Parts: sequence; structure tokens; C-alpha cells
Amino acid sequence: MRAAVAIEWLKLRRSRVVRTATAVLVFVLPGSAAAFMAAYLSGGDSQLAAKVSTVLNGRTWADYLGLIGQFSSVGALLAVGVVVCWTFGREFSDGTIGSLFALPISRARIAWAKGLVVLYWGLATSILGVLVAVLLGLALALDAAGGAEIAQAAMMPVGVATLTTLLALPLALVASAGRGYLPGVGALLAIVVVTQIVTALGAGAWFPWAAPGLWSGLGGAELAAQVTPLQLAMPYLVGALGMSLAAWWWKHCEVV
Amino acid sequence: MPEVHSTAGRAVLEARGVRRSYRDLVAVAGVDLCLARGEIHALVGLNGAGKTTLMRLMLGMARPESGLVRLNGRDLPRCKAGDWARVGHLIETPFAYPELTVTENVVASARLHGLQPPMAAMAAGESISDLGLTPWASRPARGLSLGNCQRLGLACALAHRPDVVVLDEPTNGLDPRGVIIVRESLRKAAERGTAVLVSSHHLDEVSRVAHRITVMHGGVLVGSLDPGGVDVERRFFDMVYAAERPFAGPIPEPPGEQ
Repeated sequence: MRAAVAIEWLKLRRSRVVRTATAVLVFVLPGSAAAFMAAYLSGGDSQLAAKVSTVLNGRTWADYLGLIGQFSSVGALLAVGVVVCWTFGREFSDGTIGSLFALPISRARIAWAKGLVVLYWGLATSILGVLVAVLLGLALALDAAGGAEIAQAAMMPVGVATLTTLLALPLALVASAGRGYLPGVGALLAIVVVTQIVTALGAGAWFPWAAPGLWSGLGGAELAAQVTPLQLAMPYLVGALGMSLAAWWWKHCEVV
Repeated sequence: MPEVHSTAGRAVLEARGVRRSYRDLVAVAGVDLCLARGEIHALVGLNGAGKTTLMRLMLGMARPESGLVRLNGRDLPRCKAGDWARVGHLIETPFAYPELTVTENVVASARLHGLQPPMAAMAAGESISDLGLTPWASRPARGLSLGNCQRLGLACALAHRPDVVVLDEPTNGLDPRGVIIVRESLRKAAERGTAVLVSSHHLDEVSRVAHRITVMHGGVLVGSLDPGGVDVERRFFDMVYAAERPFAGPIPEPPGEQ
């Protein structure tokens, strides 16, 4: 298992897809939130300031880092989802899946190794992204706050990124059963669309893919307050179930 | 005919009555094949004869509808990690991740076959040297030519010094020098006692290196050729034509008869 994890980690680090997704999570999402906050702080009656005020209601660290949480609920799902699809689907698209047969390590373990390195990468980049956001926030001269207050506010985007990373793991099954990353990417887009529809129909955070966004305030403060711990625990179940099914599929798949 | 090494004899990989179809196409129709230590066994046949499917069945990449495959005397589903650690293969796509260097690819393959990091690095260095890939050792695999990529796949298949090697068209895309390098690598492996199953379209090439040549056609084994005999190509086509005649399918005229 250790060898499989080391090799999957090497492949992940070398991947251009992963480097792009890392840049999105570490720089683009925090940078976008910082730009929104800068526009909000500049005030005035410009159209930009008016638009930004619809998603930002204050100049506190909680407002600023909460906005990153909102961005992450969609942005991190897309970025991590693409990485999950690539990590699993590339073995079929590139034809290297055959090389993973007839080995002393089972394919189920290789699949788990892939899931573990994606999970680790997702968590590490989300924490790194929040650190970048904090540095940008310090430069923005937000309302004064202590380290403890900032750390507490940072729990929101880290939590959202963790949940969305878990929610992206079932795409491993789609990319594997679809024998390529494109079916997985298609499923990822479908999840984003269905989440919008289900949320609009009022299912709320009982639909696991909607829970992180609603919790971060994407549907407003009132809906955010209604999200329960049980609803926030469901992504853990979804991630574990998705990875288990993907590993089962890898164990039983054939080369065709 | 090449001399079989003294360790030959004991079957390490064998198929007994294996059959596999894909919808209405019977790819392998009840094949018996035995692979012995120290022996290079060539499987030849036209495109679509079922060679690749048979090799997949023998490596557990596909499951037979009937029949069984044994590795070291154990049915494939019951094989242990130790059995698989001594198997190497190259079936169609080489173990060549484009983002990794040549050395990293071979080390990765060796580690997946159970070698610890220091041993894997040492084995990779030797295998890269044996396959003539040293000038490209630190280059990413994405920049390799088709032939070098194929040699990388072979280096990965052989690095951990397996007891059984299954290679599907290993000389595909290789220049004459590459063909000779592969030939020597297979000979060395057989001398170490490795059982080698190799498929090829190049009859002259397999007759130089193989101890046994088995002809496959229409999903069945239709006979064997003497590697030391003359005019192997003509005898191959005679055998295929004889197997095809009952079905009246289109078979090309043997060379020299037109």
C-alpha cells in the first residue's frame, strides 16, 4: 500500500491538471474573494460596488473568509472533481490500466491509494488557500481582529473545502466505470446543475452536494443557520461510499 | 533452433480449456497452453486471431467463461501476492506515465512488483541500461519516440527479474537495433530461468529467439512450427489456410505462390 501511495503521490505532483487545479484553489479563489472585498471596501456608488454588496454585508474577517467558503462550495468542487476524474480516468484514457493488473498489490488498494492522495491534496491546498487569503486579508485592512477570531473565521472555508473534496470522490466511480475522465467530468457538471435545481426546489442541505454551499451562506444567512450537523456529516458518508464503490469496481474490472 | 536452458521443464503458467467471447465473437475458444521455465514460447497469428485476449486471460486481465489459468500451480483467483511479484508483462500499452521520467517509471513498476526503494532503484538502473535507454533515463516519458516508449515498457516488465514474462508484440515500433536489444534481453531472461510468452507478427524474428512457436487462428491453437525449420512463413500460411478452409474465409495467398 505504501508503494502505491508513494507512486500515486508522485503522479499527482507531476500532473499539469493538478498544478492548474492547485493554482485555482490556492490563488484564484482567495484572490477573487480579496478582489470582491477590495471593491466592497472602496465603497462609492459604482456598479461594481453595488454588485459586490449583494454577496458581502460587512468588512469583518468572518464576512471575507465566509465569501471564500461560498466560492469554494462550487469552485473547489469543480477543481477537486476534475482532479478526481483525471486521477482515476486517465488510467483508462491512457491505456495504462493494463499495467496495474498482475501485480502483488491489488487494484482495490491502488484505487484507495488514489483516493487518499486526492483527499490529502484537497485538504492541503484548501488550508494553503486559506493561508493565502489571510495574507491578502491583512493587506486589505479589514476590521481589526485577533488571531483566534481569524482562525475561527477560517474554519468555514476549510470546512467547505473538506466537504466538497469528499463530495467529489464518487466521481472516481463514474470515471472508472466510464473508462475515461470525460464521463467523470460530465457527471461533475451534472452534479453542479442538479444541485442548483434541487436547491431551487427546496430540498436544501438534505441534498449532500448542496450542504456546503448553503452552510457557507450561498443561500443567505437564514438558510445557513438551518443547516444541521447531520446534514454536514452526510458528505463524509458520500465520500466513503463513493470510494468504496470505486475500489470495488477496480477490484472486479477487466481490460477490454 | 535456440537451445532451451537447463531450468526448463516445469510449467509456471498454464491455460486449460480457456474460452472467452465478446457478444457473438468467440475470441478464445478452449485453448490449452503451457509455459515452462527457461523457455521462450512464441504465439503467432494473424490480426484478430485471439493472441492478445489469450494473454489477457493468462494474466487475469479478463476472466474466462470456462476453463482455468494456473500460475505456479494455483488458480489465478487464488494466487498470492508472492506469485504476482514474479510476473512481468507488456500487453499493448507500456507502463509509461508521460509525466514521469524513464527512471521514475521503471522504479515505480519495480516498487509495484514488491521491490523496496533501494532495490527498485538498482533494478531500474540495470534494466534501463539493458534496454539501451540510459541517454533518456532522466527525461519525461512524454518525449520518447514510439520505439523508446516500447523499450521503456519492456524495461518495466523485466526490471524486477520476473519468473514469468508475457509480452504482446514487444518489437512493435522498434528499429533494427531495438529489435536486437529486445531479442538479447529475452534470451538473457530465459537463461536466468524466466518463462517467456511472446506474441509477434514477425515470423523470422520469433524463429530466431523462440524455443517453441505456436500458431493461433480463429481463437484456437492450430499447430506449432519448428523454429529451426526452413521457410517458416510458408508453413505458417499453410497451417492458417488449413484451419480456415472449413469456414471458407478470406485468407491471403502464401507469399511466393502468386
